[in-house]
Amino acid sequence: MTKPSERMRPTVHQSLPSRGSALCEAPGQVLLAAIVDHVKLGVLTFDAELVVTFGNATLCTVLGVPAAMRVHGRALAEVLDCATVLDEASVQGMHELCIRAVGARQAQEGVFPASGQDARTLEVRVVQLDEATWMATLEDATERQAEEARAIEQAMCDMLTGLPNRQVFQQRATRVLDDVAAGRERAPESPQACLMMLDLDRFKPVNDTLGHAIGDSMLRLVAKRLRLVLRGNDVVARLGGDEFAILLEGLGERGLADLAKRLVDVVGRPYLVDGHVINIGVSIGLARAPQDGAQYDQLLRNADLALYHAKRAGRGRFIFFDTYMKARAAARRSLEMDLRKALALAEFVLHYQPQVDLERNAIVGFEALLRWHHPQRGVIAPGDFIPLAEEIGLIKPLGEWVLREACREAASWPGELCVAVNVAPQQFADANRLVGVIARVLAESGLAGEQLEIEVTESVLLSDEASVLGALHQIRDMGVRVAMDDFGTGYSSLSQLRSFPFDKIKIDKSFLSAGEDLDGQNAAIRAITALGASLGMATIAEGVETVEQLQRIQNEGCGSVQGYLFSRPVPADQVAGVISGFVFRLAKPLSAAV
Amino acid sequence: MAVIFRVLYCSRNTLVGSPAKIDAEIAQILETSRRNNARVGVTGGLLYSDGCFAQLLEGPMDCVETVFERIQCDPRHSDVTVLQATPVDRRDFPDWSMAFAGGTKRHEGLPAALEACSSMGEEIMETLRRVVGREAEWLAAAE
Repeated sequence: MTKPSERMRPTVHQSLPSRGSALCEAPGQVLLAAIVDHVKLGVLTFDAELVVTFGNATLCTVLGVPAAMRVHGRALAEVLDCATVLDEASVQGMHELCIRAVGARQAQEGVFPASGQDARTLEVRVVQLDEATWMATLEDATERQAEEARAIEQAMCDMLTGLPNRQVFQQRATRVLDDVAAGRERAPESPQACLMMLDLDRFKPVNDTLGHAIGDSMLRLVAKRLRLVLRGNDVVARLGGDEFAILLEGLGERGLADLAKRLVDVVGRPYLVDGHVINIGVSIGLARAPQDGAQYDQLLRNADLALYHAKRAGRGRFIFFDTYMKARAAARRSLEMDLRKALALAEFVLHYQPQVDLERNAIVGFEALLRWHHPQRGVIAPGDFIPLAEEIGLIKPLGEWVLREACREAASWPGELCVAVNVAPQQFADANRLVGVIARVLAESGLAGEQLEIEVTESVLLSDEASVLGALHQIRDMGVRVAMDDFGTGYSSLSQLRSFPFDKIKIDKSFLSAGEDLDGQNAAIRAITALGASLGMATIAEGVETVEQLQRIQNEGCGSVQGYLFSRPVPADQVAGVISGFVFRLAKPLSAAV
Repeated sequence: MAVIFRVLYCSRNTLVGSPAKIDAEIAQILETSRRNNARVGVTGGLLYSDGCFAQLLEGPMDCVETVFERIQCDPRHSDVTVLQATPVDRRDFPDWSMAFAGGTKRHEGLPAALEACSSMGEEIMETLRRVVGREAEWLAAAE
């Protein structure tokens, strides 16, 4: 019996030189056949009649053909039929591939499923070697393909949580949204899709204080909890950081609200990690397709906008996107752009409202109040742009401008009148810088430190940072007085008043409003005044508009006042007039002033 | 020996239905937790009263954390408040995969504990010890 390799010798010999290969010259033909037997590819040659002229040892393994079978001289179809790993369709497909190669006289490639102990994949490539010979190589690509699939999956997967990443989410969401759009063309009432954007609340402090390892464990637990609440075919992805997104199909508003509520509940429950009890929360914005956006980008943007509103509304909640959000966002963007330009275009001005010492019957100072002269919208009140300025980080330069301008102006006032300037909590974020700015504006303007008063709100002290207290003390060391603004509206805790020796407490104007509970308001004013007196702090009431309010203030022992009863805030050039006018007015009894 | 970690939390029952149905649900919760806890070496006690749960888990830290995390995700309760989470010298309930106290008798401290008043932790522990202790006596007497 001759070995297949020996019978094959002429074909191999003839074919290889014609391809110009250097390999064939050196080894003997027996050796060459042995080499071919050992390559990991199944190798098969056949002629134009589709009769097999050679098969290597690997071919038998790959096809599951008995090793003893002589393939030489058999019809290709017959050999393929003996392949135990191929089903009928694969046999057929491979045969056709070879026929095509002969007919087309060019290389053909194909991929065929095969079965062994487990499912396998064969990659087949057929090339022509010479006029009468074709060679098919068969590669078991199962492992390689699995490896590639794993690599692809890893690239699509968020390594930390095992959830799909942003790219995969986008792909899947786009596909679903296309389906939704197509489905609604057929039936307008067909089910919708919803995109949820989730952002963890209070996660950053966890990372900052307990370390990234615990932060990572938290993210993994959050991912597990999300998966647990969601249904099997809902897609949840980690977009990055502590941001997740969910794609839901077929739920109505009620169902979505129930699900979102449950997500907020479950993610917001305590975590136990490395012995630490950790409490975080989640805020969720929802946008529905197609009404809130038919395209992925648009839907994502709107869900994000709803998320922003959920955060602003106090976190730990979910909010559906609403078109008003878009209108507000647009208005906000336009205001933001104007605001950024306003400082450069000198559209801000300061108005000054007198502060009156009741005992001395004299104006002792003015509070500087910011106004924005918008070229189109006219004068905009601080309440309408200060929060935005704080949010976009413009409050620092704006606050510094106010300090500089107020001191410059106050330096020109007669006598030793004082100017009170509001300083925002954000300005204390860089406490050293604030101290430096105050020192500089005092030096530049020539205003004595004693003539400047800064007004801060309680929230400045809430941050509880040593740097804030340190800055307040340094400011006070320059002779500048420090007043607590809006007292009585926030936490108003005694411990905060005691944490820093304030010079003055400013009683919030809400205590003077025409509320129903006058007795209660009066008692509050009295209590604050007494508290101030016992702590050595002066008190001033703002928002005094009527003689009746003034009398209440006086009766409760408050020392000074500010309000429309005396003067509205006036432009800088009218300050002198207010001062001289006040002297004139005081010549009359106060009760006759109105 | 590994450090024993203890967690005590209370939560509000979200089960709705007749008392009999709720009792059956709680019996089921107990059975599941006894089975699961025994497997991972976690012991403890469950107190149910006035629509509130208090549960104590003791065991190796990672096991307690796993059990706790599974309980967190259970939809049958809400408003979870952790009253204690600390390493301890020894187990308080070494013999109970999940001792149970509840049903008819009211434990006044439980609703108050849910108002996040962590000083109630020790009181609840005491109640658990007392009730479970008594039940153990009864069981011993019955045998």
